[in-house]
Amino acid sequence: MSADGAASILELADVTKVYRDGDVSVEALRGVSAVVREGEFLAIMGPSGSGKTTLLGILGLLDRPTAGSYQLVGEEMASLNESRRAHVRGKRIGFVFQAYNLLPRSTALDNIELPLIYAGVSRKERSRRALEALAEVGLSDRAHHRPSRLSGGEQQRVAIARALVIRPSVVLLDEPTGNLDSASAEQVLAILERVHRGGATMIIVTHSSEVAEHASRILRLADGLVVADEPTESRVALGATG
Amino acid sequence: MTRFAEHWRIALGALRANWFRAVLTALGVVIGVASLVAVSAVSAGAQKEVQDSIRRLGANVVLVDGEFISIGTGQSATERTITPADAAAIAQLPMVTAVAPHQDMESLTVSAGRNQTTTRLFGITPTYADIYNQTAQRGRLISAADVDFGRSVMVLGLDAQAKLFPGGSAIGQTVRVGSHEFEVVGIQTRKGKLADENLDNRIFVPLPVVLRVLLGGANTKSVGVRVRSEADIEPAQDEIAALLRDQHNLPASYADDFSTEDQAALVKEAQRATTTFRVLTFALGGIALLVGGIGIMNMMLVSVRERTREIGIRKSVGADPWTVQAQFLIEAVVLSLLGGLAGALAGIAVTRLIGALAGWETLISAAAVVVAVSVALAVGLFFGFYPARRAARLDPAAALRYE
Repeated sequence: MSADGAASILELADVTKVYRDGDVSVEALRGVSAVVREGEFLAIMGPSGSGKTTLLGILGLLDRPTAGSYQLVGEEMASLNESRRAHVRGKRIGFVFQAYNLLPRSTALDNIELPLIYAGVSRKERSRRALEALAEVGLSDRAHHRPSRLSGGEQQRVAIARALVIRPSVVLLDEPTGNLDSASAEQVLAILERVHRGGATMIIVTHSSEVAEHASRILRLADGLVVADEPTESRVALGATG
Repeated sequence: MTRFAEHWRIALGALRANWFRAVLTALGVVIGVASLVAVSAVSAGAQKEVQDSIRRLGANVVLVDGEFISIGTGQSATERTITPADAAAIAQLPMVTAVAPHQDMESLTVSAGRNQTTTRLFGITPTYADIYNQTAQRGRLISAADVDFGRSVMVLGLDAQAKLFPGGSAIGQTVRVGSHEFEVVGIQTRKGKLADENLDNRIFVPLPVVLRVLLGGANTKSVGVRVRSEADIEPAQDEIAALLRDQHNLPASYADDFSTEDQAALVKEAQRATTTFRVLTFALGGIALLVGGIGIMNMMLVSVRERTREIGIRKSVGADPWTVQAQFLIEAVVLSLLGGLAGALAGIAVTRLIGALAGWETLISAAAVVVAVSVALAVGLFFGFYPARRAARLDPAAALRYE
């Protein structure tokens, strides 16, 4: 849990993102710099339009920065072609979206196996690891259910299992509890906390301060700029006791 | 390899999810391939029929037909211009290997007991069998002695026999032509059809009997002339014409009172009528495939649009552009390939149906089926490429936001 001494997983330097739609251009990010170290649980907060989802998209290689440098595990991402980016994504990044984004026609198990298929893992190994990931989120009995037969909370837990199954360098979460009732949200947050304690590096975008409390550090954005970057109280408390 | 199998699984799953749409889309390819298979089978059959006909009728044969003799301003009803001396002179030409004068009577009603039928009767000599590849299935053919003695014997085609003697052997039985009686001595081996004529409905008797007893006169309508090789056919026609003009003392200003024809050319001519039809159907098959291809492209474009979010999800978990492209391309190919296979089966069925209903000879070759299915495959690849490329190039962030 010694974040300060740990190796950096990702480094952003002066990242900007400009969206152009015809003549209109919108500056979503106006020079963001940050370092995330191994084992950190970072919450990105800010009002809507502050650029937090854009930032998460860039971190997850779904989007490219207009300018600036982004290094993931020491490798510069800005210059990679689409194919390389896909491979890095499949190997290093686990996504959890607000809308779950499971394939509707595939079972829970098949959904979790999906990243492993693209990573070229053998069929046997795939199903072993997927079942393991499913057990981690407590849904072993739902392996052959399709998303439509799962509750929102269960779907999100399948999505978490899918994100973890590749043992990513960083897990990116975009409002993971945004569509959930409070009981399901509690369950999901409990799982995330456990995953974090297991050593995973996590970055969560949220505008709920209750969710952000689970994080070890909060990065606040406004109008495409970092306005605050500080450890949370729980982190402070942890540091005080530890 | 794992991944390729995975693509197939995904493609089949996607098609199954929208199976009705997939079936409708594949229909164009099905129709296209079916018509290509059927047309090529009919074509090959027709080609084979030409070869068979030429073989059955005898190769390298020039048919010389005499015209009716003019008597003053009228014409003789039966007497033709080719004399036995003409036939003998033709036989002396260097490139000629055999001549067979023969006389036929069309639409002749003959009877055996209570049965009667309308046939075509030929008066022939033994060389006829030689030139026209005639063989006996049972009994014997017209012999030299039959001709020399003017015997009233007859050889029947298989269908003529069936009509005159249903359910029994004709050999030794009697057939009446007008008031004249013939003894059946042989049955001709099956010959099949030539253009519209059923060659198995012919009957054969010695030539002198036709000339002296049935018609009167000594000249024959036709002489079959066999030459040494196919290359000799045209020069032989010229030589025969010159010879006959000389024999008939025709002044230069007079037209020929006979005609010469290349028998094989006649057969080919008869088949040419169906060629236009075949070309047209072939073109329609091609158009159906084209339309089928456009249908596949349309469906794949709709599919890519509908599954934009799915594409985004796949990309977010590590699918690279090539993988996405391969997935959609395989889907298009599976669709066209299944359409192609169904089309091949339908084509074979249609071919059988045509064979049964129209009575055409057909020949389904494995090569034609393979080519047709390959064309379907190529259609899938070609028309699936653009939609697959579009899917591959989707921006992952935008695709994930797509509603």
